[in-house]
Amino acid sequence: MQKYFKNSFALILFFTGCCMLAQGSYIHAKAWLAQHLLEKTWAEIQQGDSRSKPWPWADTWPVARLVVPRLDINLLVLAGDSGRTLAFGPGFSFASVLPGTIGNSIISAHRDTHFSFLKDLQNNDEITIETINNKKTFKVRNTRIAHRDRASFTEQETTAAIHLVTCYPFDSIITGGTDRYIVSAIAE
Amino acid sequence: MWNFLNRFLKRKPRREYLYDEFSPQKSSLVIWVQRLILLIVLITIAIFVLSLNTMANAGEHTSGSYNVNINEISHGSLLLKNGESQQYQPLPLLNTDVSMFISGMIVRSHVKQQFINNSEQQIEAVYVFPLPESAAVDHMKMFIGERIIEGRIEERVAAKRTYEKAKKQGKKAALIEQERPNLFTNTVANIGPGESVTIEIQYLQLINFNQGSFSLRFPTAITPRYIPGKSNTESMNIYENGWALATDKVIDASRITPPVYKHPGRTNSISLNIELDAGFPLKKIFSRYHSITHSTNHNGNTQIQLSNKKTPADRDFELVWIPETGYAPKAAVFTETLNNEHYQLLMMLPPDSNMNNDQALAREVTYIIDTSGSMHGTSIEQAKNSLLMALDRLRLHDRFNIIQFNSTTDTLFYQSKIASFENILLAKQYVNDLQANGGTEMAPALRLALQNTETESYLHQIIFLTDGSVGNESELFDIISKHLGNSRLFTVGIGSAPNSYFMRKAALSGRGTFTYISDINEVSEKMTSLFNKLENPLMTNLSVNFDNIASAEILPQRIPDLYNSEPVILALKSKTPVNSIQLQGSRALSPWSASLNISQAKNSKGIASFWARKKIESLMDNIHGNVNKQKARKQITDIALKHHLVSKYTSLVAVDITPSSDMFTPLKKHKLAVNLPHGQNNHTQSREVFQRLPQTATNAELHFFFGCCLLILGLLSQLIHQASFRSKLKKWHLL
Repeated sequence: MQKYFKNSFALILFFTGCCMLAQGSYIHAKAWLAQHLLEKTWAEIQQGDSRSKPWPWADTWPVARLVVPRLDINLLVLAGDSGRTLAFGPGFSFASVLPGTIGNSIISAHRDTHFSFLKDLQNNDEITIETINNKKTFKVRNTRIAHRDRASFTEQETTAAIHLVTCYPFDSIITGGTDRYIVSAIAE
Repeated sequence: MWNFLNRFLKRKPRREYLYDEFSPQKSSLVIWVQRLILLIVLITIAIFVLSLNTMANAGEHTSGSYNVNINEISHGSLLLKNGESQQYQPLPLLNTDVSMFISGMIVRSHVKQQFINNSEQQIEAVYVFPLPESAAVDHMKMFIGERIIEGRIEERVAAKRTYEKAKKQGKKAALIEQERPNLFTNTVANIGPGESVTIEIQYLQLINFNQGSFSLRFPTAITPRYIPGKSNTESMNIYENGWALATDKVIDASRITPPVYKHPGRTNSISLNIELDAGFPLKKIFSRYHSITHSTNHNGNTQIQLSNKKTPADRDFELVWIPETGYAPKAAVFTETLNNEHYQLLMMLPPDSNMNNDQALAREVTYIIDTSGSMHGTSIEQAKNSLLMALDRLRLHDRFNIIQFNSTTDTLFYQSKIASFENILLAKQYVNDLQANGGTEMAPALRLALQNTETESYLHQIIFLTDGSVGNESELFDIISKHLGNSRLFTVGIGSAPNSYFMRKAALSGRGTFTYISDINEVSEKMTSLFNKLENPLMTNLSVNFDNIASAEILPQRIPDLYNSEPVILALKSKTPVNSIQLQGSRALSPWSASLNISQAKNSKGIASFWARKKIESLMDNIHGNVNKQKARKQITDIALKHHLVSKYTSLVAVDITPSSDMFTPLKKHKLAVNLPHGQNNHTQSREVFQRLPQTATNAELHFFFGCCLLILGLLSQLIHQASFRSKLKKWHLL
C-alpha cells in the first residue's frame, strides 16, 4: 500500500475534498430523507395519533402540508424554526400563528434545499396549506427582500396569511447573510 | 474509490525519476514551490469569488430602499400621510414640550406635541411615540389657536369611528391609541396648510425607588425590538403570544436605551421642565445621560431643566435624586377616594438587614438547562456561558446541582452538593460537555428539581435556562404551582425567539423572575443583575393584612420576594377606608412584621388611575392563559373607561366642533383616506408587527465549492507529481 501514497499531499487534498462533498450531500440527503420520514408521521397524526414522532429523538413534528401545484412542490411544514428543525423541512415560527389560521404565519426554510423554489414563485401562484382539520388555498400577493431584523408584517385581523422566508441571494455560497427573501400569500 | 485511487496512482512509476535531469532533491523542492504558488493562486481566486459575492450582497443592500413603517422608527417621529406618494413621508416635528410634576412617588407628566403643517395641502399626521411602560395615559387636550378641546375615552373601535367620521367631515380631530404598553400613536386629521395643532397628552407614572435612590425615566427613543405575532385562540392554543404583552414587563434599561440605527435629518428636539416636590431634603440630583440645571423655585420645590434647550430626542432621559442621609423614607402611603371607593398606594422599605455576606442565608440552587435540539447553535452557547457564570458566583456554604434535559433527564449529582472547589470543577466540566440534541421533555426535569428540596434552612432557588419551545405548558404550570413549596423558580429565556409567554408565566407561578437574554453579549450583564438579586434575598413570604381585607382588591395579587433594598409596592382598592395595614414576612428565616398607621396618609390625585393601570396590567397578563379572552377584554375595557385610561382596547379621541375653514371637498378627502396604504404592503390594515427571521442557508454549497476546489487541487498536484506530465510541461516551457 505504502508505495501508492507517496504523493501524500494530493491524497490529503482528495480526502478532504471528498469529505466536504459528502458533508454537502449529507445536508441535502438529510433534507430529502426527513421529508419522507415525516410523511409517515403526518399520516399517523392525521389519524389522531398526536404524539407520533418522525424519529425517536425528534423535537419537532409536522403541522401542515404545503403544496404548490404549478411547481410540483409538496412539503411538510414543521413546528419551530430553529436551525435544527430547518435541516429537516420548512418550519413555522412559534412567534407566528399556525399556518392556515387567521393572522400571520411565518414559514422559513433553507434556500438551497426546501425553499429553493421560492425564486420561481410568481404573483397569483396558488399555494395550498393543508392542516389536520382544514385546507386553504393562498395566492401569492407580494415578494420582497428585507433585512432579517427589520422585516415587518401587516397584522392580519380577518384573513390568514402565510409568509415564506428564505435567505437571499439564492446563489450565494456564503451563509449567515442578513437579507431574506419573503413571499407573502393571502388566503382566498 | 480505492480502486480509482490505485489506478490513478499506478500511472506514476517511481523510477521515471531516474531519467530526470534534476536530482530528486532539487526536483522535490521545485515541486513544492510550484504547489505552493498554485495553492496561493487558487486561494486567491476563491477569495476573489467570495468577495465578489459579498460585494453583490452589499450592492443589493444599499440599492434596496426600505420604506418607512412604524416599526422602523427608532425615535418618536412624525409621519405625514400623503395621498400621492402612497406612503408615509417623514416630516420634522417642531416641538415636543414635556413638563412634569413629581410629588412623592407619583409623577404627572404633560407631553405637548406641536404639529406644524408647512406643506401646501391639508394633511393627516401620524405620530408614533414612546412613553414609560407603566404610564397611565388618562388625558388628552387638543389646542387649536385659543380653543381647547378635551379628549374623551372611548372603546378603541368606537374612538376610531368617531375620528374617521370627523375626518370625513373636515373637522380637526386627534386620536391616541396604544400600540404596545409603552408605544402610542397620535393621529391628527385635517391640519390645514400653514396651520399648527398642539396635542397635550397627560399620564401618571410611579417613581422608581431602588437602593436608596429615586429615579424617573422618560423614553424618547424606541429601540426596535422583537414582537411576536398575534395568535389565534382557535389554533393549537399552545404558542399563543399576544404581541402587546410581550413588551409589557421589560424593565431592563439596555433594551430601551439608545436605538440601533438612525434616520438622519429626522431627529426631533425636546424640551423638559420638571418640578420636583420630593418631600425630603436632597443630597444629590443628577441626570444620567443629559446635562441639566436645577434651582429652587418659589414653592420650595426643585426646578429642573435641560442645559441644552434643543436636545435631540435620541436617548432616554433619566433623572436620579438621592435623599439627604437620615431622610431616606422608610414608607409612604398616598390615598384617593373616588365614587366612595378608597384607593391606596403603599410603598414600604423593610429595614436594612445589615447582614454581611457570611451571614446571608445559604442557598440551595438547582440549575436546569435545556439541551434539546431547539437549543442547538448560539442558544446552547449562551446557556452554557450563563451557567458557567452562575457556578462562579456560588459561595462555599451553598449547595447546588445541575439538571439537563432533552428527551431524557440527567443530573450532575445524585443529590445537591456543597459548592466546594472540586464540585465546581466537576460541574464546569459537565457544563462544557453539554450538547444540544433531542426532544424537549421538560416535566420530569422540573419535577426532579422541585422534589430536591429536603434540606431545610436553605433557600431553594431553581434557575431554569431554556428557550421554552414546549407544547404542554399547562401541565408544566400545574407541576410548578403544585410542587413549588418554598422554592423559587427563576426562568432565563435564551435565543432570539424564546417562548416568553411560557417563561414569564412559569416565573410567576414559581414566584421568581424572568430574565431574557437575546444576545450572547448580554449574558454577562443580565446574569449579573439576576445573581445580585438571588444572592441577597431580603424578605420572603410577604403578606399583607388589614380590616375588611375581604372587600379589598390588592395588586399585585401575589407579593413577590424582596431583594437588595427593593421596596414593597402595593396598590389597593377597598370599600371602606383603611386605617392601618400590617405587613408580614420572613427575613433570613426569622419572622418580620410591621404595622403602618395610614389614617393620616397624604391625599393625592391619580392613585385611582394608578390602581386601574395595575389592574389592567394584571388582567392583560392573565389573558394569555385564560381561554376566556372576551371576559378579560370586557373587564379591561370597563376599568379603562371608568378610569379614563388608554389601554389596548380603549383610545382617547378629541374632535373639533367646527369644520376647518379651508376645507377640501368631502369627496376628495374621502379619496385621500382610502388611498393610504400603510408602509410597503397593499393591505388596508394599519398595524405592523416586527419579526426577526431565522437563519435560512445551509453550508452545503460552501462545502460543495470547497470540496470541488480541493479535488481540483489534488488532481493538479497529482499531475505535477508525475514526471511524464512534468516533462510535457517542460516541453511547453512552462517549467
